Amino acid sequence: MHLHRYEKMWLMFGGGALLLFVIILTVNAYAMGNMPPSHMQMIEPSKVDETPPFDKPGLRQIGENEYELVMTSFVFGYAPANVEIPAGATVHFIVTSKDVVHGFQIPGTNVNTMVLPGHISRVTQTFAEPGEYLILCNEYCGAGHHVMATKLIVADEGKE
Amino acid sequence: MVVQPGIPQPDRQHPQTERKDSSLKGTFAAVLLLGAFIVVCWFAVFSLFVSRG
Repeated sequence: MHLHRYEKMWLMFGGGALLLFVIILTVNAYAMGNMPPSHMQMIEPSKVDETPPFDKPGLRQIGENEYELVMTSFVFGYAPANVEIPAGATVHFIVTSKDVVHGFQIPGTNVNTMVLPGHISRVTQTFAEPGEYLILCNEYCGAGHHVMATKLIVADEGKE
Repeated sequence: MVVQPGIPQPDRQHPQTERKDSSLKGTFAAVLLLGAFIVVCWFAVFSLFVSRG
């Protein structure tokens, strides 16, 4: 097949760019641990309240300024609400849904995951800056979807 | 065959076996510009993702 010299060059450019993207993403995911916010763990959605760790939802310290936050989502809210953590804390969010598909997004951060009934979503984020972070539902879940939100309060302990 | 004046006749002695490449300079520039735009966007989004982590 005859290809123009320029055609060969731009095909090499396009192929090379795709290869570069895939290499960067692979290194980033497997060597640096930046996996997408999801998890292969399943749960029986009608028995969320009896199934650990969702039988005791809440904040649990697992290391120095490192926390596990077990949350449930439902129409139309999250539990527990308005959780407070110290600045610089790394939080591992463990979220599931008790009813329909919800979203779990903290604008301005990489936290953005779907919360599916029957599945457990995990996402990790470090909150260096103190302030109030909005947690909101970004999957239409019903008539009250637009009020489905809560806050994560990152307290600046040094100034208190 | 009747040869009519004013109408060019196909050159049967020298049939065209190889077509000359048309100029693709403009297309090449356009493709590289689009490619550069895509690469810049990709790295912009990726650096945003990394900086928020």
